[in-house]
Amino acid sequence: MSLYKKLFKKPWPYMVGALILAFSNIIILALTGNAWKVTNSFFYWGAYALGKLGIDVSNWYYFRVYDNSHQSGETFLINNYSVINIAVILGALMAILLASEFKLKKIKNKKQLFFGLLGGLMMGYGSRLSFGCNIGSYFSAIPSFSLHGWVFGAFMFVGTYIGTRILFRYLL
Amino acid sequence: MAVERIDCMYEACPIPLIKALKKLENMAIGDVLIMETDHTCSIINVIDWAKKQGHDVDYAEISDGEWEIYIEKSR
Repeated sequence: MSLYKKLFKKPWPYMVGALILAFSNIIILALTGNAWKVTNSFFYWGAYALGKLGIDVSNWYYFRVYDNSHQSGETFLINNYSVINIAVILGALMAILLASEFKLKKIKNKKQLFFGLLGGLMMGYGSRLSFGCNIGSYFSAIPSFSLHGWVFGAFMFVGTYIGTRILFRYLL
Repeated sequence: MAVERIDCMYEACPIPLIKALKKLENMAIGDVLIMETDHTCSIINVIDWAKKQGHDVDYAEISDGEWEIYIEKSR
């Protein structure tokens, strides 16, 4: 097998992925002073869009608790989390282009569209209730020796089990 | 020997794999399942999974970025 095929076409071993993720998280923590989070920036983007529509979001409870408001010099679009998310998207695009496997997918039918949108809404709502997704509340929490990561993890497995059963019984 | 077809076009991981798993459960030994997919993950994870289960498996690219995976239920 050629080196190109090995590097870009075949999946890497889980251990390699785990090590890269761990080191990337250490670098992010060292450079920004915060653990890696993903959904925060999507919330900022949504809030930015609402702000442009004339809805004042700055008084929302979410921005007044813990450290969810911006640091000085940050905006809704220019902050650590957004920059990291855009980098992740560009990196994924680069990887798929290097493997020459990029493809725009069509929408199969209305059912797929409906459940895709419903799933997205539920994930977004859930991630705000728990102050993070499986990156912010799980992946970044456990190496920080925070108990909440383990609690989040346990319930994530419960949710995944129920979700898989629903998928198997009703959606396929 | 029966031939069954499942349409997994435009479906994302892990739907093609679960669809194949569900369909194969109700098939007899010797039957062939033809799976249509345009998902590159499928030609890796479905084939790995089918081999591990002990089925005979092969695939062909039928047009640009679209594949047919053939799984013969062997046990």
